[in-house]
Amino acid sequence: MPACETLPASVVSESADAQRRACRIVLAKVGLDGHDRGIKVVARGLRDAGLHVIYGGIWQTPEAVAQAVVDEDAEWLGLSLLSGAHLTLVPRVLAALDQAGADDVRVVVGGIVPESDVEPLRQAGVAGVFGPGTAIESIVHLLQDSAQVNREFEQIPSERNRPQLQGVASSSVATGTARSRQCLSRRLSELSDAQPAVEQQSTSTCNGGSKPASSRRTIAFAGSAGVGKSSLIARVVKELRRREQRVAVLACDPQSPLTGGALLGDRVRLTEVFPDEGVFFRSLAVPSGHQGIAPGIGLMAGCLHESGFGTVLIETVGLGQGDVAVRNVVDQVVVVVQPESGDSIQWDKAGLLEVADIVVLQKADLPGAGRLQSELADTVNVPVVTVGRDRPDGVGELLDRCVVRR
Amino acid sequence: MVTVAKCRQTVDAAAVAANRTIEQPGVFPFTRGIHADMYRGRLWTMRQFAGFGTPRQTNERFRFLLSKGQTGLSTAFDLPTLMGLDSDAPQSAGEVGRLGVAVDTVDDVRQLFDGIPLEDVSVSMTINASAAVLMAFYLVAAEEAGCDWTRLRGTIQNDILKEFHAQNEIVFPPAGSVRLAVDLIEFCTRRVPLWNTVSISGYHIREAGSTAAQELAFTLADGRHYVEEMLQRGWKADGFAPRLSFFFNAHNNLLEEVAKYRAARRIWATMMRDEFGACEPASWKLRFHAQTAGCTLQSRQPEVNVIRVAYQALAAVLGGCQSLHTNSLDETLALPSEHAVTLALRTQQVLAHETGIPEFVDPFGGSDCVETLTEQFCDQAADYFEQIADQGGMFAAIDSGFFRREIAEAAYAEQRLIDSGQKVIVGVNRFEEAVDEPIELLEIDPTIEREQVKALHHVKATRSPDAVRQALAEVRRVTATDVNLFPALLEAAGARATVGEIMNALADALGRYTLERE
Repeated sequence: MPACETLPASVVSESADAQRRACRIVLAKVGLDGHDRGIKVVARGLRDAGLHVIYGGIWQTPEAVAQAVVDEDAEWLGLSLLSGAHLTLVPRVLAALDQAGADDVRVVVGGIVPESDVEPLRQAGVAGVFGPGTAIESIVHLLQDSAQVNREFEQIPSERNRPQLQGVASSSVATGTARSRQCLSRRLSELSDAQPAVEQQSTSTCNGGSKPASSRRTIAFAGSAGVGKSSLIARVVKELRRREQRVAVLACDPQSPLTGGALLGDRVRLTEVFPDEGVFFRSLAVPSGHQGIAPGIGLMAGCLHESGFGTVLIETVGLGQGDVAVRNVVDQVVVVVQPESGDSIQWDKAGLLEVADIVVLQKADLPGAGRLQSELADTVNVPVVTVGRDRPDGVGELLDRCVVRR
Repeated sequence: MVTVAKCRQTVDAAAVAANRTIEQPGVFPFTRGIHADMYRGRLWTMRQFAGFGTPRQTNERFRFLLSKGQTGLSTAFDLPTLMGLDSDAPQSAGEVGRLGVAVDTVDDVRQLFDGIPLEDVSVSMTINASAAVLMAFYLVAAEEAGCDWTRLRGTIQNDILKEFHAQNEIVFPPAGSVRLAVDLIEFCTRRVPLWNTVSISGYHIREAGSTAAQELAFTLADGRHYVEEMLQRGWKADGFAPRLSFFFNAHNNLLEEVAKYRAARRIWATMMRDEFGACEPASWKLRFHAQTAGCTLQSRQPEVNVIRVAYQALAAVLGGCQSLHTNSLDETLALPSEHAVTLALRTQQVLAHETGIPEFVDPFGGSDCVETLTEQFCDQAADYFEQIADQGGMFAAIDSGFFRREIAEAAYAEQRLIDSGQKVIVGVNRFEEAVDEPIELLEIDPTIEREQVKALHHVKATRSPDAVRQALAEVRRVTATDVNLFPALLEAAGARATVGEIMNALADALGRYTLERE
């Protein structure tokens, strides 16, 4: 595979040494089987071991898994199957990875796999198979052997890491579109790594802009944890796709200050959307002290715009008072609130409301919504949009209000 | 978690003594068992869960099990059927007939029970999201075989709530899913009076990693919800409660498990009588099936699993189960072989006929330890009921991810104990062998998918397309109303509509579940 065009060495060299990127792994279940105890326990365990775990959840198709691996720029993919369908589904995932140009990602499989099936899976290119009774430590051991080697973009092996699959199309099937998507994804990682050196640079670090700047917008979604930011973003993405617009999501979740690990689970909410070439989704871990957004996020949004994703949605880690950095990198800040058991707007929330360009009142069908709405009307001078079971058009209204650039 | 050591310190001897004199087996609140004579009168039903491949293959396994002395049937369906998909759906690839038997139409159900006298053998069907469709298939198949619905005995799991908590075999959103389950309960209560209309299940909650207390509390909370739904439809508790049944896990900690079953009976009886106004003893009695814990089975030194299963089965019997499945030693590796499933059944037969345990009723009744554990479980369950109510009830708690979060936390805590060696798993983190003896496994024939799809296409080619179209239109129409949709499902089943077609018609009105709220 040809190397992607990279940022100038002067920009990346210092930071690449300064901080080694955490190993990123996508965990997913393919097929119909919903037994997710194992995959959830492994996700927690790997996070606690310092990895960045992108949790894809159940009911994934091979193509959706491949898109997750590419968009998330993951080095590893962990598949869990307790359905006995591993000899059918795992080769399909490997083929989908090849189609997407992600033939260098390494794959591990967990679940109910009889000994006699382990060798065929290894032959197909699976790096490890873990059955019941596996200690998390032994999985970490295999993954972190690779994490010691920092990936250099120029050194992506030109031949396949995995042997050829029988009866499966060869790796040369990856199209130009697939390759440019992969390059975009790696560029985003670079921008994230290169902080803060690159922050000073111009944002034009990407090629192939397809839309005039005026149709581009970046919208941040802020609000306390559990208020339903991810669900709202999922609905906004679906609405944008209904309108045939391309959209990217940069979803931020906290990184553990102790282990550096992170469990990034926001993709799950868009399960039925993927695979979709018109939706780019990247999960980002936010170190503490970064004001609720990942380093380099403004540059990433610019890069996505230039790559044809007109709308970029940023999910913050629940901003608090004083976290205003997000205002500098987006066009609109949407603050999400929902009715809670009887309390009125607290002062800490009032601080958050100050940065809002639009307030969304979620779950407007719950008791207490009316009261919260009138309190909001008294407190803020920006539009309040209500979304709920009885307000299905709220998402559309929100998007229409987000058109105007600040 | 309740521990025996802890209970030794906190035991209130006077209260325990009081319990001992008050509670009697066969008498409210049935802590000590639902019958005065328990297994002296009638042994539990030995019911091994079985199903794989085509209906013909599973029919053979059923006959094999009956010939070995099994006393009831229990059907495992494959994942496409559980998820309401036909065998030729793209998502079904690789999964047809793999974890259970593939069923697409009524004709498959007829084949599945071919030659088995349905009025004499009780039949259990483990299915949830598509339970109403499969129950309609069963009733039509039974009718076509000349059986009288009022003589059919058996159980359909039909417990969709625990799918949202734990097992994830979900097709429709919560409210629509529950409506479908309650339509089945309502219809079968009227028309199939000996049938258990729901098997309210803690088994899967425990398998997903919950504690015993969570298993108990969440299961009874689900039961409470189904009761409330029926009351809202104008039923009196005594009209339907006697056909509600339960399904619990039989896990490793023997005394804790015995206490869990005792607590379940006490809580349920009290709830039904005092909260829901049931007057009939039959409405107060919690009847349950037990299955040994699949999640405790290990792939290393698999023969040791036989011993685990035997102790777990002992707990279920000491706890007064009405029917029991014992797992096979090879289930962490594949579906059970005939050899393994025979050994599992023999485990129950030894327990029933050689140990002498069935001679005694609730032998732990009055034990300081087990009585105190029982009390503690009742308290912990009450605490969880309160937490669920505080969140605004069942749907609100599902919506907020409460159950999943609680279960995932417990699962991770357990894994850490095992990884750190604080919790010993024989042959896994202690007493390991360098090389495990290989065991013989059941292999699923990959040509099954083709065979099943061929059978499906044959049915589609020979049925009346007009009758199918009309029946599906009726399903859609009724689903959009408040009317019980079970009669429409029977029509569709009789017209040879497929599982997938009927589920799609239902989804047109009920919507589809998405993981947005994961």
